[in-house]
Amino acid sequence: MTTATAPAPAPAFRFKKLGTGSVQLDLGLILFAIVVIALLGQWAFLAPSDLDGNLTSRLKPPFFTGRDGTFHIVGTDQLGRDLFFRVLGGLPWSLGISGVAVICVAVIGTFIGLIGAWYTGIVRTIVLLGVAAMIAMPFLVLALVVVAVVGRGFWPLSLTMGFIAWTAVSRVIYAEARGLLTREYVLAARLFGVNKWSILIFHILPGLRPTILVMAAFFFAVLLIIESALSFLGLGAPLNAPSWGNMLSDSRQYLVNAPWMMFVPATAIVTAVISLNLIGDGFAELSRKRARAVEV
Amino acid sequence: MTDTTDQQPAAAPAAPKGGTRGDAETIPVTQQTMQTLTKRVLELIFLLFFISTLLFFLLRLTGDPAAVLAGETGDQEQLELIRKQYGLDKPLVVQYGVFLYKMVQGDFGNSLANAQDALGLVMERLPTSFTLVIIAFTANLIISIPLGAWLGSRPDRTGRKLAATAVFIAQGIPGYITGLILIQIFAVELRWLPSIGNQGPLSWIMPAITLAAFQAPQVVRVISANVAEAMREDYIRTARANGAGFNTLLWRHALKNAMLGATALIGAQVSFLVGGSIITEVIFAWPGLGRLLVTSVQTLDFPVVQAAVFMIAIFVYFAITMTDIVFLFIDPRLRRQRA
Repeated sequence: MTTATAPAPAPAFRFKKLGTGSVQLDLGLILFAIVVIALLGQWAFLAPSDLDGNLTSRLKPPFFTGRDGTFHIVGTDQLGRDLFFRVLGGLPWSLGISGVAVICVAVIGTFIGLIGAWYTGIVRTIVLLGVAAMIAMPFLVLALVVVAVVGRGFWPLSLTMGFIAWTAVSRVIYAEARGLLTREYVLAARLFGVNKWSILIFHILPGLRPTILVMAAFFFAVLLIIESALSFLGLGAPLNAPSWGNMLSDSRQYLVNAPWMMFVPATAIVTAVISLNLIGDGFAELSRKRARAVEV
Repeated sequence: MTDTTDQQPAAAPAAPKGGTRGDAETIPVTQQTMQTLTKRVLELIFLLFFISTLLFFLLRLTGDPAAVLAGETGDQEQLELIRKQYGLDKPLVVQYGVFLYKMVQGDFGNSLANAQDALGLVMERLPTSFTLVIIAFTANLIISIPLGAWLGSRPDRTGRKLAATAVFIAQGIPGYITGLILIQIFAVELRWLPSIGNQGPLSWIMPAITLAAFQAPQVVRVISANVAEAMREDYIRTARANGAGFNTLLWRHALKNAMLGATALIGAQVSFLVGGSIITEVIFAWPGLGRLLVTSVQTLDFPVVQAAVFMIAIFVYFAITMTDIVFLFIDPRLRRQRA
């Protein structure tokens, strides 16, 4: 594991320092910022006609200038659509679907984890049994089956993934929350007669924040991969939507003639996933550093 | 893993006094094996019940199952026939009861595509998928364990830092992209390897690498982190003071400990591999269960979908339980009862 060599900044100077104290987190945030700027920029600069194809310039390689003078920096696909614009147009699909899904995952996972940690007896047994059972099932299989019934499209896809993938989060939250529930301050709150929801939300949840952030970053990446996989299998975003998985799926038939059709969306997916993994690693490292600082 | 399994007979007799740290609550291995089995079987039943209920109600909530069963070509007469045949004209509760009853008997109905027995179709494909998963699983362990140990043994050296960065980047590359790149290089450009179907050992290489690539980077990172941690432990220092060489320290002492710490990960691998095998099978036109599942999902062939999902669940549970039990025998630390 690459460990950041940046020295832990003294608390007083934190605001003056550029960066977060973790090289990985910095890199990840920069990469992700580029992606998000591209996402925002497209509403300003991308005209709807840019996504249309031009059949006279089908399957053209990168740096191709069409007869009408349009320049295609990374080439065109089988319908003569500019791949760069299509990758930009795919951002709201790929990141949007996995973004909605990751919010569902974080909320449901935390909620179920807290329920399992707070209650004892039959409720905990059911929660643990259910989570253990669902976690073993490859969630691509579950997602495939559910999507087959509920259909494709932005909301069916994102909600399906959100409602299926939360189990791993809830297992981690459960373990952490049980640890926190044994702390003295929680006991004190209980003795004061504080309502259980208040304890869970105001006393336990803040302690779980670092864990939730780390898990959310990693799950964002995982869900992005799953979303692309589903689209790749022809069961994700609608067929004509420029989702990255759809673009990869299109590229399979043209691997011989137009390999750039595969490399362009692949680069987009890999960049997004790596930046999210960096962010997750960075958060994890920061929280470890803080824990160590508290001990010392 | 191959190394540690050899020690299973040696470890088993030691079981009754496994925890020598003065804890009286050590329970016999056989008893704990039974407990694990019971727990896993319970989970499996819960899962199968959950999946079948989910499918049953989703199928009825989102539309007319008869229309789905009839496919796009079904006319009114056919719909009536299907409703009669599948008992869809009866009340929902009765349907659900019949559905569960048939499920328990392993009767999934016939495939809508070619009227073959759905379970039979699935069982036919199972060995092909199994081969792929086993090859990839083995390849994964053969590559990632030594690599992880090497990276974790001296994590501060420049070469290993670079290698660790490469592993990190590899972790960001989804398996289906690896697969497409492999096809592009070895099938399209170099024409060395066949990219379609199951045509003997040569055609296993690319699917197996693709499938292994789904999870290998993660395993490498976990093992290297575990090894790095183990190398800082006191017992390693003691062994070193006793004159053990670096290689002995790493491969015999630290790695063994790190591997045992990775139990949960190895178990979870199976689930990931099965998920990944679906995409891999589609990319390489591998005639396995995953491709059958995808085609049946695409054509809405629900009896086959259901049978396939059931078999996948059973397969994953079988594999996880086996890992649990094997590690129970290998790792004395797992034998103590956790309150």
